[in-house]
Amino acid sequence: MHKESRIRDPLIDGNKTFHDITVEVAYPVEGKANKYWWTLFGLSVILMLWGFGCIAYTIGTGIGVWGLNKTINWAWDITNFVWWIGIGHAGTLISAVLLLFRQKWRMAINRSAEAMTIFGVIQAGLFPLIHMGRPWLAYWVFPIPNQYGSLWVNFNSPLLWDVFAISTYLTVSTVFWYIGLIPDFAMIRDRVNEKINPLKKKLYSLLSFGWSGRAKHWQRFEEVSLVLAGLATPLVFSVHSIVSMDFATSVIPGWHTTIFPPYFVLGALFSGFAMVETLLIIVRKVVNMEAYITIKHIEYMNVIILFTGSMVGIAYITELFMAWYSGVEFEQYAFLNRATGPYWWAYASMMTCNVVIPQLYWIYKIRTNIIATFVLSIFVNIGMWFERFVIIVTSLHRDFLPSSWTMFSPTFVDIGIFLGTIGFFFVLFLMYARTFPVVAQAEMKTILKSSGSEFKKIDNEQ
Amino acid sequence: MSNKKTYWKGVAQLENKEFANEIASNEFSEHLPVNDFLKEKKTLEESSTSRRDFLKFMGFTTAAATLAACETPVVKSVPYLIKPDEIIPGVPNFYATTIYDGRDYASVLVKTREGRPIKIEANQSSTSARSQATILSFYDSNRAKEPMFGGKSISWSKLDKQIKQKLSQVKDKKIVLLTASIISETTLDLIKKLSSKYSNFEHIMYDSVAYDALLDANLESFGLRVAPKYHFDKSDVIVSFGADFLGNWLSQDYSKDYVNGRNPKNGKMSRHFQIETNMSLSGANADKRIQIKPSEQAYLISNLYRALIGTDQIDERLKGVYQNLKKSKSSIVVTDSSNKDVQLIVNAINHRLGNYKKTISIDNPCFLKKGKTDDLKLLVNEMNSGNVQVLITNGVNPVYNYENSKKFVSGLNQVETFISCSLYNDETSSLADYLCPLHHNLESWGDANPSLNTYTLMQPTIAPLFDTRQFETNLLSWSGENNDFHKYLKSYWINKGINWNKALHDGYFKFNQSIRTANYRKSNLRNFEKVEVNRLELCLYEKIGLGDGSLANNPWLHELPDPITRTTWDNYVAISASTAREYGLMNKTVANGALNGSLVNLKADDVELKNLPVIIQPGQAKGTIGIALGYGRKKSGKVGDNVGFNAFPLISKKYVDIELAEGEHEFACIQLHHTMMGRDMVKETNLDKYIKNPSSGNYREKYYTYKGKLPSDQVSLYEEHDLETGHFWNLSIDLTSCTGCAECVIACQAENNIPVVGKEEMRKSRDMHWMRIDRYYSSEMTKQSAKKQDISSIKMYAQMEEPSEDPEVVFQPVMCQHCNHAPCENVCPVAATTHSNEGLNQMTYNRCIGTRYCANNCPYKVRRFNWFLYSENDKFDYHMNDDLGKMVLNPDVVVRSRGVIEKCSMCIQKIQALKLEAKKKGETIKDEDAQTVCSSACSTNSIVFGDVTNKESEVYKLRNDDRAYDLLDHLNVRPSVFYQTKVRNKQNA
Repeated sequence: MHKESRIRDPLIDGNKTFHDITVEVAYPVEGKANKYWWTLFGLSVILMLWGFGCIAYTIGTGIGVWGLNKTINWAWDITNFVWWIGIGHAGTLISAVLLLFRQKWRMAINRSAEAMTIFGVIQAGLFPLIHMGRPWLAYWVFPIPNQYGSLWVNFNSPLLWDVFAISTYLTVSTVFWYIGLIPDFAMIRDRVNEKINPLKKKLYSLLSFGWSGRAKHWQRFEEVSLVLAGLATPLVFSVHSIVSMDFATSVIPGWHTTIFPPYFVLGALFSGFAMVETLLIIVRKVVNMEAYITIKHIEYMNVIILFTGSMVGIAYITELFMAWYSGVEFEQYAFLNRATGPYWWAYASMMTCNVVIPQLYWIYKIRTNIIATFVLSIFVNIGMWFERFVIIVTSLHRDFLPSSWTMFSPTFVDIGIFLGTIGFFFVLFLMYARTFPVVAQAEMKTILKSSGSEFKKIDNEQ
Repeated sequence: MSNKKTYWKGVAQLENKEFANEIASNEFSEHLPVNDFLKEKKTLEESSTSRRDFLKFMGFTTAAATLAACETPVVKSVPYLIKPDEIIPGVPNFYATTIYDGRDYASVLVKTREGRPIKIEANQSSTSARSQATILSFYDSNRAKEPMFGGKSISWSKLDKQIKQKLSQVKDKKIVLLTASIISETTLDLIKKLSSKYSNFEHIMYDSVAYDALLDANLESFGLRVAPKYHFDKSDVIVSFGADFLGNWLSQDYSKDYVNGRNPKNGKMSRHFQIETNMSLSGANADKRIQIKPSEQAYLISNLYRALIGTDQIDERLKGVYQNLKKSKSSIVVTDSSNKDVQLIVNAINHRLGNYKKTISIDNPCFLKKGKTDDLKLLVNEMNSGNVQVLITNGVNPVYNYENSKKFVSGLNQVETFISCSLYNDETSSLADYLCPLHHNLESWGDANPSLNTYTLMQPTIAPLFDTRQFETNLLSWSGENNDFHKYLKSYWINKGINWNKALHDGYFKFNQSIRTANYRKSNLRNFEKVEVNRLELCLYEKIGLGDGSLANNPWLHELPDPITRTTWDNYVAISASTAREYGLMNKTVANGALNGSLVNLKADDVELKNLPVIIQPGQAKGTIGIALGYGRKKSGKVGDNVGFNAFPLISKKYVDIELAEGEHEFACIQLHHTMMGRDMVKETNLDKYIKNPSSGNYREKYYTYKGKLPSDQVSLYEEHDLETGHFWNLSIDLTSCTGCAECVIACQAENNIPVVGKEEMRKSRDMHWMRIDRYYSSEMTKQSAKKQDISSIKMYAQMEEPSEDPEVVFQPVMCQHCNHAPCENVCPVAATTHSNEGLNQMTYNRCIGTRYCANNCPYKVRRFNWFLYSENDKFDYHMNDDLGKMVLNPDVVVRSRGVIEKCSMCIQKIQALKLEAKKKGETIKDEDAQTVCSSACSTNSIVFGDVTNKESEVYKLRNDDRAYDLLDHLNVRPSVFYQTKVRNKQNA
């Protein structure tokens, strides 16, 4: 008798071979789209066009077509901005931080998570642009050398930090994502028949940068991935910290809070993982990736959601405690008003969706149930949207002088633009799902247990 | 014959043909080293003009040529052919003149730029929100523009001829001239001339809001039908039964005197009791406000009189009033009662208290109100019985503001010829046979005699905009005289020995008038007993903004938030919370924070008004409703038509019935929250405490630091601005003397080209005013009482939101505080808002990209965003979209485009002009010259502007006053604007 330690469950189900992986990952790219894809795509395009129409209307007429007023100068615009930026965070965490920590399970989901990051950041980036009164002058936020004398950007302004943070984030994420894609593009390139589809061949040849799979290529690939992971890791923390400083550096009670950077980062990861789940639960079904994105993956992500959700809950309670403990009446009122004022329902939604509901993941059955996970992930997405709405609108609507207190209600344009970004996001994601390998197949192959476990199984069967 | 003539190109060709030919064949006369250059390969290669350079030059030239060929926009600006001596482009001229529209009087200075009047400032009298706003009405494109007969245009000469004929045809019937109170001696003189020319001529004056009772009572008591001069500054106790003397009462501005008598620095202040129904501006400023029903007023006044002469017990409610009157050395008792008997009792009270010698001068009367409503009533009857052949009206609108408009209109049908002289083709004029459009005050000559011995002159500040004529010219030409009124006016006063040029320059002169002074004559006083009325009672009032509605087409006044309700673009039924509950009426806040109110149907005898909006008004006496006059115009112009409802039909009604109607009304209030929520934005103390400790009520929080406890301004992480060198502009606002009259708001709007955004936008909380006057009511719930009763914070704050039904009121003007550690400045990504080295927070519109972060981060919420393009936009059809309306714009201030933030600049354009002027003269700036428009408009001098580096300046002294405090001091933003605590003079504080 020999003692045999428990072998971890494989991360890929279904006794795949290397070839199986290649074929299955390439399938959505090579095959024709099914009607689910077309329905979803059509719907998203309509939403997107509606949103673009609303944006054009806003730029043509003025920000007055939104529901803002003299007291509440930001509402859905910045709520959506922070929400989308937050969603992006999971992608970077999965691809960078989990890479550094050698969490192999990330390989099945990092490609899509990162795609989500980039598409999310694109949506997020729209809002600071269109929320400007004069968006045609948006380039003024860049420190462009000019001949207007001493005109220069204001480095004290958190909005300027945002500009740098987000542009850096978008750049690094895109590069990181792309590096990972090179071997996979090469795989598709190699499978395209030049005679039948010369354009496709040419395109994927270009995209794959002449990847040949040589050992040197692989070595460089690994090195660059590691370096980029190192670069991206601080970004996971910095971007949302800086976004939080838009609020934290102000004087408005409810915004002026030192807890904001960690609170925002955790919230971002929380919402990001929820969005990854929302997307992947659909994707794995639609493009038959159930073998790669397994219950195990979903469970892992649910554990992260449970953790970050609880941390966010602690942050909420800390805020309340600090408001009470500070003894500042404005601060105290701001939080009292959040919970019991006219926007109590937004606060209640936030608390329920973000703090209470994720606690269900303590239950094993729920955290390994796909439908429950999907429903819960939607709740978290909604909750995190409300979190930003609560922070922005309920802090502004009753600040220092009661004479200026008022409320906010969105117009059809506010709503249209938000729905439009959702449409735009899905348009990008659906197009991605049809043209890019949605799973990092090259990496997946490194964790395929092709020998030992196979033999073991044969042993067991005998 | 062939022509062999040769023409030489020059002498050289004649003299030296070869040389000439040589020159002619060479394009360049001197040797060009082109060949040498191209020949040598080496030099060519060394040359720095490469092919690329050539292309660059080429490209540049092409681009430059293309650009130069583009058409530049044509700006229509026509230079003076012969420049008038007095006009220097860019330098304003000021003309002293008078504004009087039959109701509001002001002696003013009109600022004109390049020949067009753009701003009204106070001269000999103070101005009001309305007189400030009249500058916009002047440029109203809806004014009557040409004389009309039967709806068709007619020339003045034809019109004069026809009218003269009509007038001379009158034999048995009457010619009646109906005007508002006329305070011009020359006009009255001309009317006399006209009346002597034609037979059966009668002149009737009436005031839209009548003061007959007061005038008639004075006629009985003193033999003079006048309002006396009230010296509110000399009075220790002021008792007003409903007279809103800080608002519209007698169209007089008493606030200056009132405030002069209430300076806590002097160690004494008058004590003001206001016994009233509606919450008025005076009531809001009173030390003690007592709510009564209109039906109780007569009894209470009568009771006070009886108590003073010792024949009755004083009513419980008036105990304080009675004691104070008894004790005081000087006092004033006034009332707005429209009952002559009540006014007689008030006269008796004042006589009893000896006030006619000290605080009320009947021998120095004011002549602003002369109307006799009874005459008008008689006229209407006569019209209906067909006794009036010709009716001439001047500047009045009885079809709108006579209580029985229908009867007036039916009377008009009996009148053969109806001639209307009016600024507008309004409700009355549109029924006229002849419409004689009038000059605006700013186009007219004239004089005014508002009070004894005081005369002011009116002079044109611009050539007439339209084919209009002033009333006096009409009078002259209809009486068949030379119709040059200017000459007439001039010779009239020169003949009386007035130095015309000086008087015209100053705008006013003194001229001794003789009046018969009469001693107080006792009359039989009626006794009013206590009556129990169980019906809903009505109390009408005029708003600070719109007054009687004659300026209804002025969008500034519609958009001026009512100082009390802070509502714009509406009148409504004001009702107390508990009475509203009885009738099932409510006010509620909808999703975007705006206010909705119930509708009621109102019935008073024969008058029925449907669907009137209801607003819940703290301080409204229970069982009563208040309604503002001046709204519901039908033919005022594009702005004023159909705003609110007309309450003039109710003018003599006392009791009304209301019932809840279907639906809700959408209000446009700019302040939706009425209490201070236990915060100390307005710091308050009482006189007795102030005398003991001048900084009482002005508590400053201290904060723990490593150096011990320090006030906020001594704790900072920031680098200080250098505020010692050069100027450091500061603005002090005294909350004790601010009455909330809102004149500064209109002045600011006029000076700074602030757009009007309309009701829809106001409802969305998007007002554009750079300064606002916050109004807070006290609440029954305070932190102390919550602590005492052990009430939870949640409940406490919820109850604090409810204003008391008998509230104390405070006003607080708020504009940009010009923080020296400004939260807005460091958040702007493009540095569009920056700090000046003179202590001002500057906004650079050109640089602004409109992120609105600054507005979010402003703790005072004074930054305004241009949500839309407000100028040149027909959706905002107020005045900035038409060529005429735009003439009111101040050329020194930029008209902001859409998408940028704007805010108070502390009138930087005025500061710059002042500095320039001083520099040219080589002098330092005088303290009294440094003014913002709000500070110069403020008739009570509660806004003081100046340079605190000048240790002699008033503002420096105020900065170091014990009452001075910064708003939201704990934020340590170091505002350049600061406030002086409010000192009340309550009895039992």
